Amino acid sequence: MPAKAGIHPRVVMPAKAGIQNRPQDILDTSLRWYDNILERFGMSSAEHRLLRQTLQNFVAKEIEPGALERDQKEHFDLNLFRKLADLGLLGITAPEIYGGSEMDAVAAVITHEELAYSDPGLCLAYLAHAMLCVNNLAVNASESQKKTYLPKLCSGEWVGCMAMSEPDVGTDILGMKTSAKRIDNHYVINGRKMWITNGVLDASGKPADITYLYAKTGEQISTFIVTPDCEGFSVGQKIMGKTGMRASSTAELVFENAKVPVENLVGEEGDSIKHMMRNLEIERVTLAAIGLGIGKRCLDIMIGYANERKAFGKPIAAFGQIQQHIANSYAEYQAASAYVYQTAQSDMSRLNSDGVKLIAAPMAKKVADSAMQVLGGNGYVSEYVAERLWRDAKLLEIGGGTLEAHQKNISADLLKRGGFESCGDRF
Amino acid sequence: MKILVTIKRVTDYEAKLQIDSSGNKIKLDGVNMIANPFDEIAVEEALRLKEKHDGEVCVLSIGTADATQQIRAAMAMGADRGILVKTDNPLDCTALSQVIAHVAGEEKPDLVFMGKQAIDDDSHQVAEMVAERMGAPQATQAYKVSVEGDWVTVVREADGGLETVSVKMPCVVTSDLRLNEPRYASLPGIMKAKKKPLDERELSTLGLSIKQSMTIQKLELPPTKTTGEMVPDVQTLVSKLHDVEKVL
Repeated sequence: MPAKAGIHPRVVMPAKAGIQNRPQDILDTSLRWYDNILERFGMSSAEHRLLRQTLQNFVAKEIEPGALERDQKEHFDLNLFRKLADLGLLGITAPEIYGGSEMDAVAAVITHEELAYSDPGLCLAYLAHAMLCVNNLAVNASESQKKTYLPKLCSGEWVGCMAMSEPDVGTDILGMKTSAKRIDNHYVINGRKMWITNGVLDASGKPADITYLYAKTGEQISTFIVTPDCEGFSVGQKIMGKTGMRASSTAELVFENAKVPVENLVGEEGDSIKHMMRNLEIERVTLAAIGLGIGKRCLDIMIGYANERKAFGKPIAAFGQIQQHIANSYAEYQAASAYVYQTAQSDMSRLNSDGVKLIAAPMAKKVADSAMQVLGGNGYVSEYVAERLWRDAKLLEIGGGTLEAHQKNISADLLKRGGFESCGDRF
Repeated sequence: MKILVTIKRVTDYEAKLQIDSSGNKIKLDGVNMIANPFDEIAVEEALRLKEKHDGEVCVLSIGTADATQQIRAAMAMGADRGILVKTDNPLDCTALSQVIAHVAGEEKPDLVFMGKQAIDDDSHQVAEMVAERMGAPQATQAYKVSVEGDWVTVVREADGGLETVSVKMPCVVTSDLRLNEPRYASLPGIMKAKKKPLDERELSTLGLSIKQSMTIQKLELPPTKTTGEMVPDVQTLVSKLHDVEKVL
């Protein structure tokens, strides 16, 4: 934002001295005007537009410069994460009275798309906090729990996570092993949780300030708020060596006779399925939005590069094979974008929240792959960003519901309904 | 204290501009528009002064109805209200200064804060003219601004170094690049901006007789740069500069 006169910190590629024919700024061809398309269809208000502009400025100046390093060092940057609070993003959907911004799902999608444009890993950490933890609490917790936890989560003083998956249990949530047993004024929790984004905050093994935990009480699943002072709760390990999303930290959490006070139970015993249902849609739609950010960035990258890079005496954009990558990527991005924004705007059903992720995740991976292909050797190295986004995109096909889980849910829903027409309003 | 900040809607400095077929206009269709960055810096400084000394920040823009976007963006940063003087015809510096001085006459701000220049035509004249029309002192190209009592002290970047100027309010101050780093609009700020008052008036209703003293005859894009050439020695360099480039 400063220094706009000429020295604006736009997202630029580093130039390497001595190498000919390398684009100095391959992002010169901006895709920003696509945003206007959404607006023309009434899908984005003036506030949403201003939010997107603010985010684009913020991302270019604050997020992009360290994205490569965070990826290489597998580093979750807590200070940078906290800067998101200044913009009111950490409690984006939480009520204003608890320090949130009380915005809608479209705003959440815009935020994830723009953060992921630069750093999907950081964006995933943001999602784990703002969607999986904060929004969950805002939707499901009691007034006194909200009053206790939300203000500090919205201000960034605390970082939250959500713990569902286990070493041996993912999609099949009813098969989870972690158990909670009530003894007097406490629940005693035993078990292990795996793949928990934000589950650990630094190299010393500091756990999240709030862990939104699912555990079995008998045959049913119940929800608990776990804080680091809880006896018997610890970080098992920080999971290293992830393919992508390396700017977020992922942990295994261990509960060994962990004592959680009864007032930390969210709702009633056995309420978890209800809780999950209430929060699932926004989780998946925002995960899909990360795919949009990846797709948009990769389009910017390949378009800019195709215009600059020459082969056989002309820009490679002049070759049909390159045009195919650009045109297909564009159309696929737009299709996914229309589905995601329409769902966020008007139809946050389980069916479509599964659907948007099923479409947007492979789109992101494919468009990133096209970007790498267009960039050739340059696409294969970190400096040109595409390969990082390609690695990050893969996570979207696994995390927050595997593609196979989405397929299972969608077909189950459709088969139960008996037809497509009953699936919601069409134009 | 009451501060009036002016904002001009300009083309994005990243945009690749093209000249309209008329030859004297920039094609604006599909070009991203932003607030003049120097004006954003002025908004930021005004907000900081308000936070310190209390008061009100009002933003003024002159232009098409689309300029409400830039006014709302300033409100999202924290400005209290806005005024848009609507006109579809671009005004030159003389006319702009006339309108701004007129609004300042109505609003009676303690301080008119403006960007030192707009990045589209880079005229760098309007604020100076406004001060003249208001009969108010001016301190331009501020690098640092402080207020004490009725006096505004401005440190400005001059050619030979830093210069300190004190002017008595009401006065006109313009921002330079290094005055501050404008804040980001926060989400709550964006939501609040929606409800802040924005007074839209037609230029024709101000009762001014606007005289444009400048018309744009023709626009040209800057010449494209050709790639450089390595020469083996100074002698070749000199002869090239003399014979080919004809600069020696």
